[in-house]
Amino acid sequence: MLLAVLIANSEGNILVERFNGVPGEERLHWRSFLVKLGADNLKGVKNEELLVACHKSVYIVYTVLGHVSIYLVGKDEYDELALSEAIFVVTSAIKDVCGKPPTERLFLDKYGRICLCLDEIVWKGLLENTDKDRIKRLIRLKPPTEF
Amino acid sequence: MAQYVKKDDDRDEEAEYSPFSGIEKGAVLQEARVFNDPQLDSRRCSQVITKLLYLLNQGDTFTKVEATEVFFSVTKLFQSKDIGLRRMVYLIIKELSPSADEVIIVTSSLMKDMNSKTDVYRANAIRVLCRITDGTLLTQIERYLKQAIVDKNPVVASAALVSGIHLLQTNPEIVKRWSNEVQEAVQSRAALVQFHALGLLHQIRQNDRLAVSKLVTSLTKGTVRSPLAQCLLIRYTSQVIRESSMNSQPGDRPFYDYLESCLRHKSEMVIFEAARAITELSGVTSRELTPAITVLQLFLSSSKPVLRFAAVRTLNKVAMTQPMAVTTCNIDMESLISDQNRSIATLAITTLLKTGNESGVDRLMKQITNFMSDIADEFKIVVVDAIRSLCLKFPLKFRTLMNFLSNILREEGGFEYKKAIVDSIVTIIRDIPDAKEGGLLHLCEFIEDCEFTYLSTQILHFLGIEGPKTADPSKFIRYIYNRVILENATVRASAVSTLAKFGAMVDSLKPRIFVLLRRCLYDNDDEVRDRATLYLNTLGGDGSVVETDKDVKEFLFGSLDLPLVNLETSLKNYEPSDEPFDINSVSREVKSQPFAEKKAQAKKPTGLGAPPAGPTSTVDTYEKLLLSIPEFSTFGQLFKSSAPVELTEAETEYAVNVVKHIFDKYVVFQYNCTNTIPEQLLENVTIVVDASEAEEFEELATKPLKSLPYDTPGQTFVAFEKPEGVPSIGKFSNVLRFIVKEVDPSTGEAEEDGVEDEYQLEEFEVVASDYMLKVGVSNFRNAWESLSPDFERVDEYGLGPRESLKEAVNTVINLLGMQPCEGTEVVAANSRSHTCLLSGVYIGNVKVLVRLSFGVDGAKEVAMKLAVRSEDELVSDAIHELVAN
Repeated sequence: MLLAVLIANSEGNILVERFNGVPGEERLHWRSFLVKLGADNLKGVKNEELLVACHKSVYIVYTVLGHVSIYLVGKDEYDELALSEAIFVVTSAIKDVCGKPPTERLFLDKYGRICLCLDEIVWKGLLENTDKDRIKRLIRLKPPTEF
Repeated sequence: MAQYVKKDDDRDEEAEYSPFSGIEKGAVLQEARVFNDPQLDSRRCSQVITKLLYLLNQGDTFTKVEATEVFFSVTKLFQSKDIGLRRMVYLIIKELSPSADEVIIVTSSLMKDMNSKTDVYRANAIRVLCRITDGTLLTQIERYLKQAIVDKNPVVASAALVSGIHLLQTNPEIVKRWSNEVQEAVQSRAALVQFHALGLLHQIRQNDRLAVSKLVTSLTKGTVRSPLAQCLLIRYTSQVIRESSMNSQPGDRPFYDYLESCLRHKSEMVIFEAARAITELSGVTSRELTPAITVLQLFLSSSKPVLRFAAVRTLNKVAMTQPMAVTTCNIDMESLISDQNRSIATLAITTLLKTGNESGVDRLMKQITNFMSDIADEFKIVVVDAIRSLCLKFPLKFRTLMNFLSNILREEGGFEYKKAIVDSIVTIIRDIPDAKEGGLLHLCEFIEDCEFTYLSTQILHFLGIEGPKTADPSKFIRYIYNRVILENATVRASAVSTLAKFGAMVDSLKPRIFVLLRRCLYDNDDEVRDRATLYLNTLGGDGSVVETDKDVKEFLFGSLDLPLVNLETSLKNYEPSDEPFDINSVSREVKSQPFAEKKAQAKKPTGLGAPPAGPTSTVDTYEKLLLSIPEFSTFGQLFKSSAPVELTEAETEYAVNVVKHIFDKYVVFQYNCTNTIPEQLLENVTIVVDASEAEEFEELATKPLKSLPYDTPGQTFVAFEKPEGVPSIGKFSNVLRFIVKEVDPSTGEAEEDGVEDEYQLEEFEVVASDYMLKVGVSNFRNAWESLSPDFERVDEYGLGPRESLKEAVNTVINLLGMQPCEGTEVVAANSRSHTCLLSGVYIGNVKVLVRLSFGVDGAKEVAMKLAVRSEDELVSDAIHELVAN
């Protein structure tokens, strides 16, 4: 299960958070844990360079893209490698929507589209689509090209 | 933390830039009224939906009324033909997750979309419907979903399949009907469809081992199109291997070739998954392991942190069981010590500490020293624990390791970290005699500047035990006396005791110690003064060099040999009077504890927490207790003590449970009694046991309980003789008999005269499993092979119709009272067959292994094959008799 997708700005303010199968009372902990993890480690990291951590049996893969940081949390089959696959899809989709690694402003300008992309990529904790071109078409309700 | 919770839009500069500046839920809800406009402005509607999403994604919630209102407005947007808006509508409906009674509003629109000619409408409609649907609606749309699964458009098929995975949780019986379609989708040429179909098919069939095995067999030979699906297949394959390994012969490992071939896959994810699967095979041989270790080694030097992390994490696990297999990676792992990612570095270090050889220790420690300064305490503790194990493994290297520990002890760190270091030093001192002197000095230096009272007192206590036994005890005195001058009262009191111990044990130091102790008589703390006075008086503080009396030493420093709880109770009950407190009046009887507590006690403690004599187990405690009773002292070695069996209901006047102690020729019943009535004192408490339904048992002795005051548990015992070495069984009924005396609650005094009374208790049985000790084996197959097949007895039994296979397995395990091995007590839900491995020691100290194979048919009739091997053929037969009866 992909437990969480969380996107924050460079100051640690949450821009998007989508939890799956995480009880409400634990979300706040996760949120602050992830933001702290980012604050401790993401300084000076290159765009899309993946960082990894684990907490008990839960894995976290996170990275920086422009002015936003992106965190994915997963367990069981979504281990560090599956998460790195998923985060790659997320970063490529965001870059595609924004045209470049986004500033916070650009990210918020494209907020609706980004939400649609995330909806295509992760559905209730399962990875659904992984190809950025297909995602790009799907959010505009266009059929995939390869079909 | 609040600053993380919500984006703070008040900041002036940011405010200009953010499109959501000053966003407020109420205002957005107002704006949502545009959804009701007769002339829909698609662009504006999309913007409002984005705002709603922004609020929801920030953790904002809508009240039921708000959500309903928005939801109803949103449904109006289905009228719009704007494609972008429609996509947003699908998303916001899912986010709003309307309640069951509201769903009806959109179902017709969604059903229409589901049959739309435009494929992507269908895909989205499926996802939304499955998200908001309930069972009844699902049966209506089931036909469409089945079609969708085999749709030629991969987006539609994936949408239906992923929906299926979610729906399986809530409506399993419906989704299970789709297995033919899902099976077809597994053969799809579209990579993602295959991935999703494989996931769903496995979930549908996970309880049918044969089907999973078939699935794996066919796919491992066929084509798997995406790395993601390949990873799933590897996982399912290892599951099949795990389950079949119980029945197969050693050396024959199905599917290993497939796993090995995956090591050459082009996707790193697949290679890694296969490598990990191989390392986790049970009883993996080094030949099987080598190729996996080789690819993991390559990953160690990958430029991607995720791969390095995954590889080192897996190698770390392997190192726990097979350190030698990982040594080839040591050089690569050493370079990871300087990895920027601290998780990777810590894993690398702890792995190296497990796999390193003696000659490399010095170099390794040098590298770790640089690393320690910039990791968090929790990582440091892991490293310290690993260093302790390393030191015990290579005792000759203790100097290097001890120096390292003492250096990090001086650096900054929290309590847990410091405690871990101190515990490690103490363990090393205890286990390696040569390390004692140096180790104690390190501890002395630490307490010179230790901010934790707990650690200081523990170290002082330890110094008192070990210091006097060293070649030159005088060198520790300075450190100890400094504590008396510089520390808080708790530490000062400990230091006084430690000084006194040195005085008592080392005669040459005694006069000088007395000088120091006399100075403590002026301390401003009572406890410190009292201790100093006590020691000076008992040790003969006149300054003369005389040997301290052995009894005095025993009194001052010997163990109390009393349950501390009992001492505490007695001291609380003691009222100051002319009569001094008599320690001999404290009961030595061990209060019966809840089982969990005993377990915790039996766990081997490390470091300072450990009593020098080593841990005592429950059986030891019971054995000591029984041997201290003259009537039972000749019974020989205690074989087994059962868990307490309750003989009364909860919250009755008297609470009684019984522990069955089994000896070769005797059984002793220990009745733990508690009186829960404050107004009563019970005296001369006995249990009258009726053993008419236990023919082979003959009552031998009874040990009554003199007095049972309110809320102070006590024990009474009854012993029986039985045929030697025979697992006799029987039923025992019990009556509690006693003299009851009224107690005046205000004074706590009991009346002179009492009345004889009885209290009926529940019956209990001595059963066959009481003669079996639960003793596990680490490798069942090896243990099985090591027992002679000559003493193997195999037979089949029909267990009749049972509630479930799981219930049947548990019943047999409980009947035999043996230890399930390798997790085989867990029965997969709905499985049709199961193999369970048990191990134990039978009375007479005979090792027994049991292999149970269960099968269940459609009518829930359970059949069982029982194979027993033991060191004695009679015992093998006895186990069969047990089951047959």
